[in-house]
Amino acid sequence: MHEMKFELRGITKRFPGVVANDNVNLSVETGEVLALIGENGAGKSTLMNVLYGLYRADEGELLIDGQATQFSSPADAIAAGIGMVHQHFMLVPVMTVAENVVLGVEPTGRFGSLDIDEARRMVREVSDRYHLELDPDAIIEDLSVGVRQRVEIVKVLMRDAKIVVFDEPTAVLTPSEILEFFGIVRSLVEAGRGVIFITHKLKEALEIADRINVLRRGKVVGEALPKNTSEAAIAEMMVGRPVLLVVDKAPATPREAMLTLAGVSVVDPDGRTVVDGASFEVRVGEIVCVAGVQGNGQTELVEAIAGLRRVASGSISLGGKNITGDSPRERHAAGMAHIPEDRQRQGLVTELSITENLVLTRYHDAEFSQGIRMKWDAAAAKSQELVAAYDIRTTDPSQLASTLSGGNQQKVIVARELSRNIRVVVAAQPTRGIDVGSIEYVHAQIVKERDAGRAVLVVSTELDEVMSLADRVLVMYRGKIVADVDPKKVSHMDIGLYMAGSRPAAVVA
Amino acid sequence: MRKHKGLKSAALAIAAFALIASACGSDDATEEVAEEEEVTEETTAPLPGAGTLACMVTDTGGVDDKGFNQISYAGMLQAESELGVTIDLLESASDADYAPNLQSFADKGCNITVTVGFLLGDATKAAAEANAGLSYAIVDYAYDPAIANARGLVFATDQPSFMAGYLSAAMSKTGIVGTYGGINIPPVTIFMEGFRKGVEYYNTQKGATVKLLGWDGKDGTFAGNFDSLDDGKNIAKSQADEGADIIFPVAGPVGLGSAQYALESGGKVRIIGVDVDMSVSNPDAAAVYIASVLKKIDAAVFAAIKDVVEGSGVTDNYVGTLANGGVGVAFTAVPDALKAEVEAIGAGIADGSIKI
Amino acid sequence: MNETLKSLRFTLLAVVAALFVSAFIIVITDIEALGDGNLGKAFGTVGRAYWGLFKGSFGSLRAISNTITGATPLLLAGLAVSAAFKAGLFNIGATGQMLAGAVTGLFVGFAFQLPPIIHVPFALLASAAGGAAFGAIPGVLKARTGAHEVITTIMLNGIASFTVLWLLKTQLFKREGRDDAISKFVEDSAKLPKLFGFMGNRIDLLAHTGFIVGLLATFAFWWLLRKTTLGFEMQATGFNQEAARYAGMRTKSLMVTSMAIAGAFAGLAGGSEVLGLYGYASATVAGDIGFDAIAVALLGRSTPIGTLVSALLFGALQAGGRQMQVDTDVPIDLIIVLRALIVMFIAAPLLVKAMFRMRGEATSFGQTFRGWGG
Repeated sequence: MHEMKFELRGITKRFPGVVANDNVNLSVETGEVLALIGENGAGKSTLMNVLYGLYRADEGELLIDGQATQFSSPADAIAAGIGMVHQHFMLVPVMTVAENVVLGVEPTGRFGSLDIDEARRMVREVSDRYHLELDPDAIIEDLSVGVRQRVEIVKVLMRDAKIVVFDEPTAVLTPSEILEFFGIVRSLVEAGRGVIFITHKLKEALEIADRINVLRRGKVVGEALPKNTSEAAIAEMMVGRPVLLVVDKAPATPREAMLTLAGVSVVDPDGRTVVDGASFEVRVGEIVCVAGVQGNGQTELVEAIAGLRRVASGSISLGGKNITGDSPRERHAAGMAHIPEDRQRQGLVTELSITENLVLTRYHDAEFSQGIRMKWDAAAAKSQELVAAYDIRTTDPSQLASTLSGGNQQKVIVARELSRNIRVVVAAQPTRGIDVGSIEYVHAQIVKERDAGRAVLVVSTELDEVMSLADRVLVMYRGKIVADVDPKKVSHMDIGLYMAGSRPAAVVA
Repeated sequence: MRKHKGLKSAALAIAAFALIASACGSDDATEEVAEEEEVTEETTAPLPGAGTLACMVTDTGGVDDKGFNQISYAGMLQAESELGVTIDLLESASDADYAPNLQSFADKGCNITVTVGFLLGDATKAAAEANAGLSYAIVDYAYDPAIANARGLVFATDQPSFMAGYLSAAMSKTGIVGTYGGINIPPVTIFMEGFRKGVEYYNTQKGATVKLLGWDGKDGTFAGNFDSLDDGKNIAKSQADEGADIIFPVAGPVGLGSAQYALESGGKVRIIGVDVDMSVSNPDAAAVYIASVLKKIDAAVFAAIKDVVEGSGVTDNYVGTLANGGVGVAFTAVPDALKAEVEAIGAGIADGSIKI
Repeated sequence: MNETLKSLRFTLLAVVAALFVSAFIIVITDIEALGDGNLGKAFGTVGRAYWGLFKGSFGSLRAISNTITGATPLLLAGLAVSAAFKAGLFNIGATGQMLAGAVTGLFVGFAFQLPPIIHVPFALLASAAGGAAFGAIPGVLKARTGAHEVITTIMLNGIASFTVLWLLKTQLFKREGRDDAISKFVEDSAKLPKLFGFMGNRIDLLAHTGFIVGLLATFAFWWLLRKTTLGFEMQATGFNQEAARYAGMRTKSLMVTSMAIAGAFAGLAGGSEVLGLYGYASATVAGDIGFDAIAVALLGRSTPIGTLVSALLFGALQAGGRQMQVDTDVPIDLIIVLRALIVMFIAAPLLVKAMFRMRGEATSFGQTFRGWGG
């Protein structure tokens, strides 16, 4: 493997009204991992698109081994030895691993026929060298997200990338998959390749990177070496002020039960039982967190509670009233706030304005409409109020919600749901994919709701979040609630074991 | 500045475009060219129709409908080449176009406007009444009472169809002949009725019992359209299955499907063409045609234009008959003796000795 | 820059680009002039053709009347497509809904004897109701069975046209003395007054007050979208059905309501043609309007004002095309090419951007095409 040094010098990229990248310098060499960390909207994606040939910088230059070069398309970048593993995979679900990997660079036999055996051999070879454990004949749609990501990695490696760029690679992975992924990154580096690791997660950057570059508002605001920095220091660089990384809360004082589930089961359209007899209660004044690896029924559990999914058996009651058969709107009226897992798909209509989104679940209230007529003036006034109260960063609430950063979009949902007259808060993955500053804010809001006398249920796959936020932790595994523990009395490790379907030794004994 | 860049280039594009349009061909320049052309034409062949503008409005079928629009247009083209008139054409996309199309031609000063089809009857009448100084002619429609400046062009197609009916009855080997129409409207059924009477006449004259399928004098077989070749094929097949060996389709292009079927039948079924000599207009299937019933719309259109050119006007309705040559029969594969017999019947109809 | 202004400018550029390409088509098809090597004459034809296009669409009161006449059904049917688009549904069924509205309006038009002040609104209402009822069918099918509206609306177009063909031949509808599919005339009291009727009885001014109906419908559509809970729900559902469901909206009944509203607009299109232009109905009363309406909605980006502007543009092209052909022998078919080019340039924004060197200005078309997602 040849050595290579890839540099960006003085890169500036402007969009109308915004300087997305402002005189950015960075470099990476084969054999090292550079972490590029920054909040959402800091300019990471733009920078990545510049170095992959999707955008052309307004100023500055790209250098390979000191030679100035230009990429006018990703093809140029690939030819120069730059590979990219996107956050959203680009795989054909019905094809095999081998077929996907050679898509576009198909090895051909005589008469131009596809040489699939050659493709298989190539996949096996790359897979073995980097311990990826890929079966060339597996169909993509049967594979887990983590394995699919490895297929993407193989795609990049087969195109001879010397520098591999990973865009938020861990966002879709489970904790154990993240560990495996780090193993792969290390073996890539050992094999003499360079890695650019784009992330907003402090821990991961500290764990895997040789060097960390912090991006804020389009500028590189600092470089750090993991061994002589800390999470807090990097977080401060990212946000521009000291950030509270642990949730600051008083001990809970739980009172009466507000949300009660009794033997709730949910069956998916394929007939599989995805939630299996879940029974628990959430009391006023406590935060109950449901931990678990993604895909163990948490999504369906939340949707059943919110009324978006039919309950096959069991009952759900709110404040003593059975709401099992109620519509989502009736549940809203009964005082349920729901912060959904996927804010772009469920929580917001990004093509509508911020104001419209702020009344999405309450436009039918007498405050905002009379009969069929909307009172947009009242909505606009409310919107101004919420934008200020919930620190939503926008100059104009009549702008589309899609113009907001992820964190601010989440604040819109939080503002809308928590500002209603509510008794119980159901929040699914409330901080997924949002920046450090916004995470701090959302956590503080959740604690505030608890202290204001609401019952709070949080579903999260981020173990750190669960441990710091919860007053009580439930662990979900294969549709069942397998543990109900006090986070102060168990370790991360114990919860991790529950999440994997086994029991901590102490409990077994 | 960026904001205006696109606008500026748009403006530039418009400006450049306008420049090209104006610099390369101002109206004056084109007129000069046109005048020059006229001059050369006049010196070589001074025709009586020069200066007369003859225009045509089609119905929704369009000018290349292989039907009466196209045949009418043939009359226009004939007038252009033989009389030297200038011709123009507007096709109607829907019923809503008739009035505006007629209006456009009135504005242009068309000395005569030919409209095609009885669907344009009301619109043509309105235009004629609004533009007393201009002449109109309409194909397949007659005004009663007549309008001074609008001539209806209608055709006694029962006369040649009568001849064709007689001819078919005489030539049928199975003793069964067939006919069918496109849509059950008078301009179609008049053919079928004439054909039926021709068959009847043969039966009484010869004491035969030739049977007719597809029309009983009141109702019969109709494709329901004028364009589905498949329908023509299927109807011909079902009539052949019932024993018919000569079929007379009165359905425009639908009939081409029947001819196709006849061709595939290998001579078992033969066809009487309609409107034009189909052994000429449909050469691919020329072999299946025995004869064709002619409806000489083109001649009637030409005559109307000629009357306007010569200043004799279009006051009366025109009825094409065997007597005036406006309708007729084209014989393709008829034995000479029978041909003479049928021609004699035609003469009898023309002089009134045979009543239909 | 203001979003509306930006898209307006973009549309304008697409029209300019289409005119430009069409000019080349005129030149290269002007065989006579090319044969003579007389390029100047060929370009002159372009100038005269476009002058005719303008003269025939806006050059006189009659031209304006013709433009309005052409635009009226396109506007109402265009609103039918736009309204469905807004709710995330792709309504290919404007033709069928027009026919339904034409028949119900026709029936009220000839079956009752009423004073005009009652008869006209009653007949229009019947048209809207007929269209709405027919439009609701694909909505119900989608809500109940998930059948995609693109398929069902196309099928229902066929059902509508054959049903109308049959109806028009029944004794109830059939015109005395005619055996083809053509209906009785509506009563004079049910006829929409001519738009320029106040100028005396000029028969060449065909424009009728169906255009006023269209303007009112445009306003109603705007009001629905901007001022009502229903419009808000429709848009939320159209953009993101999942989120609408999350927000407690009854997305299935919204599908039916949205399609019924769309159908009502199309029904008015059919009704205004029968009551305003023809005075009777034939099987071809809807023509290609239902399909042209898709282009109108696309061009107008499904907004009320956009639909109005693009319907007027298409109406003008139709009216001007006739004059163009009369003046220059450039066939009216060029209008079809021109319209297709406009739609193509609208659908291919990158092309227009490249042509006019606009960079970095994303223009969103997301919503218009969303209907395919199902």
